[in-house]
Amino acid sequence: MERRKFLTLAGTAAGAAALAGCTGGDDTPTDTEGGGDTATDTATDEPTATERPEPETREGYLQRANLVLHEEAPWIFLNRQYSVYGKSTDVNWQARRDELIRAYDIEPAGSKSTVRITQSQMDSGLDPQDHRETPTDNIVRQAYEGLLSRDREGRVTNQLATGYERVEDGQVRFELRSGVSFHSGDSFTKEDAAFSINRIVQPDVGGLESPQSDQLAGVTGAEPADGDSAVIVNSDGLNPIVFALFATYGPIMNKSWVENNDSAYINSHMDGTGPFMLDSYEQDVEVVFESYDDYYLDAAPADALTIQSAAEASTRVNQLRNGETDVIVNVPPQNISQIQNSGNAEISAVPSTRIIYNAMIYNQEPFDSPEFRRAMNHAVDLESIVSDVLSGFAGQTGQPTLEGFVGYNEDVDPYPYDVEEAERLVEESGYAGAEITLHTPVGRYLKDLEIAQAVVGYIDELENVSAEVQQRDFGNLAGELLDGDLSTSPSFYLIGWGNATFDASQTLIPLLTSDGALTSYSNERVDELINQAQSMGGQN
Amino acid sequence: MASFGRFLAKRVLQGLVVIFGVITVLFLLRYITPGSPVDFIAPLDASQATRERIADSLGLNEPLYVQYADYVVSLLQGDMGYSYRSGTAVRPRVFAKLPATLELAVVATFVAIAISIPLGVVSATRRHTVPDYVATLFSLLGISTPNFWLGVMLVVVLAVQFGFFPTSSRPVGLLDALGNLVVIAGPERGWALPLRVDPFLSDMQNWLLHIVLPAITLGTYFTALITRLTRSGMLDQLGRGYVRAARAKGLPETLVRYRHALRNTLIPVITVVGLQLGTLIGGAVITEAVFDWPGLGSLVIDAINNRDWPLIQGCLVVIGAGFVIVNIVVDALYAKLNPQVMD
Repeated sequence: MERRKFLTLAGTAAGAAALAGCTGGDDTPTDTEGGGDTATDTATDEPTATERPEPETREGYLQRANLVLHEEAPWIFLNRQYSVYGKSTDVNWQARRDELIRAYDIEPAGSKSTVRITQSQMDSGLDPQDHRETPTDNIVRQAYEGLLSRDREGRVTNQLATGYERVEDGQVRFELRSGVSFHSGDSFTKEDAAFSINRIVQPDVGGLESPQSDQLAGVTGAEPADGDSAVIVNSDGLNPIVFALFATYGPIMNKSWVENNDSAYINSHMDGTGPFMLDSYEQDVEVVFESYDDYYLDAAPADALTIQSAAEASTRVNQLRNGETDVIVNVPPQNISQIQNSGNAEISAVPSTRIIYNAMIYNQEPFDSPEFRRAMNHAVDLESIVSDVLSGFAGQTGQPTLEGFVGYNEDVDPYPYDVEEAERLVEESGYAGAEITLHTPVGRYLKDLEIAQAVVGYIDELENVSAEVQQRDFGNLAGELLDGDLSTSPSFYLIGWGNATFDASQTLIPLLTSDGALTSYSNERVDELINQAQSMGGQN
Repeated sequence: MASFGRFLAKRVLQGLVVIFGVITVLFLLRYITPGSPVDFIAPLDASQATRERIADSLGLNEPLYVQYADYVVSLLQGDMGYSYRSGTAVRPRVFAKLPATLELAVVATFVAIAISIPLGVVSATRRHTVPDYVATLFSLLGISTPNFWLGVMLVVVLAVQFGFFPTSSRPVGLLDALGNLVVIAGPERGWALPLRVDPFLSDMQNWLLHIVLPAITLGTYFTALITRLTRSGMLDQLGRGYVRAARAKGLPETLVRYRHALRNTLIPVITVVGLQLGTLIGGAVITEAVFDWPGLGSLVIDAINNRDWPLIQGCLVVIGAGFVIVNIVVDALYAKLNPQVMD
């Protein structure tokens, strides 16, 4: 029955999941409606993932990898973080999935014409290609745009490009929008686009060794196309997610402006194509923008925009309740009801691109047993953690990839909370009586310590396992995880992972393949599935 | 006079040694603090090559003594290095924050004095009566109330609930606000009092409204100490012979208390208040964070969160230097008032 259902769906999969990435236009490359590689059963049913027929699409391979990973349980799958914002009732705005605030989407209501945003910290300088952090992105991305962009749900949309296509393995082409000008008045050209990409990926271009070169991983350079207004982007071999990368990363700058100014100037001024242009900049204090009159789309609803910061969450909440700001970031669960009851403000929450998980190193006792790892997943009442620790502002996960991402497997559910099953699996694993220690950073992720304590509390309730928490300095923990040697890592740790590309590969490859930078796991079948997926480009 | 000069020179030399110690300890601290700054700057998935490049550009691959020597030499030249996070020079950023911190420290000191000296006098002169107990209780509450709690409560009640004050931040500095006052009261306006010139006056009002709550929060903490000091000093003075003599010759009790006893009480109080000012400059971190007051405290918290060591060191060196300078000034004043301490 299951198998027949799969076979009928498999036929449609290729068509449905034909990634629009190859043809571009207004299509949505991250469309997941196919879900073709349907493996509707759970871990305990037959047939197991390895006996199913091979997938046929890139997405299918990624979905299969997610299924295998669910069954092998290299992690305790915990929660998907939500981005929780507070917003004044004086503005219309809805939170985005990608953790960015696009002030262009904020509509002041009534006679109000200015908008103020309070985030948790200010920028690290205004060069859009010389940083790697959300607070800085939230500031510079009001003025700088990419070739592609994303809508609220994370689907790829056009920005400075009007179309894109894969020319051959290792080469893609973006058609550029005409009639676009930078804030300085210069026209946007294909030379600017090529220069901006090269400034990121080539250390000797534009006087900057950009820390964003990893974000455009695989891209080797760009060149203006002959004749047309287009830019050719080259990659080292086939780059299956090149459009997803350009939808998230790669801000476009003005070539002559960059070449004529020094780093200090570029870090305190802006010359982008976006809907807001810089009005004044006071480092560590605030950035003020005004609406750019010559923007190529409708001008922004707000005439002026101020971005400021307050490190304390309660300070941000009070600013919002008192009407001193319009949008605040990172509202912690304990402050949510304050805002909901305030009368002049409300919560805007959305699932983010960050997953919180407990890694269990696959070759260290007792975690070398898949039964034991599955037992840990059954032992934890994830639903209660989400509702009690996180006030319901989080999602439950059962696979490494988040819903809405390319490669998410819709047929995999979170592990059910089942103490008896957990105890049985522990017995079966032969590790009854195991004592385990969960290492967790404190204050790095929303409620990280509280989540770790809850997890350990549940595991400790099992009759045949005892568990405890060890608090760690994040830098120290990260150092142990990143040294490329699994034996120096704690065997059981909590950590979070953000993936703004909306593509499963950017979670699976670094975290769960044998050579991943932050891996805790190695499985030939998973490596093979992901290699297959990554060898397939847009057209399937 | 010569001995005062020698005394002062000695104090300044000692101060320099202390500052040098601060610099050294801070520098060593960063090396016993776990975690490499690179892990905070580079994202988790950064390649090893990226990490190496960052470490290299920050000079982290040099031996420790070379880094230390570099740091001390550049400090002597007035260069505090460059922020790890943003690459900008540290010195202008730190000094840009100093006015906000000084404003808050000074206003908070005034708040503390305004509350505590009357309280101390009342409880000394009405010893073992209800006002004494109330004053003592109040000062006890003041010292046992955590800063951050009081700050948040003041904001919730006075700012959010009643709307008397803004919740946080400092949109304008005192100097700018004063500057605008001077402009309108300047010669070209005939030195008229600017009472009704709203757009300008609002700067000053704005500054005052924003500093009230943080100053109360910070000042309250020090009222207890000063209240007690005033109370015990006052009791001590009131028991002295000169007070009895003054009373015996029929001087009104008010004059005895305020002209004579209180004056003598204030000498040690002034010393302590001066030293407190030094503490306030460095100790306003929590208050600044609660009120988003853009001073050294907020800067140092941000810097610590980002493990931005050059910025942390810059802030703390300035705070340490401020503390030393205040101490030297207080010592000098005290030596002037009471030459015995110069021995």
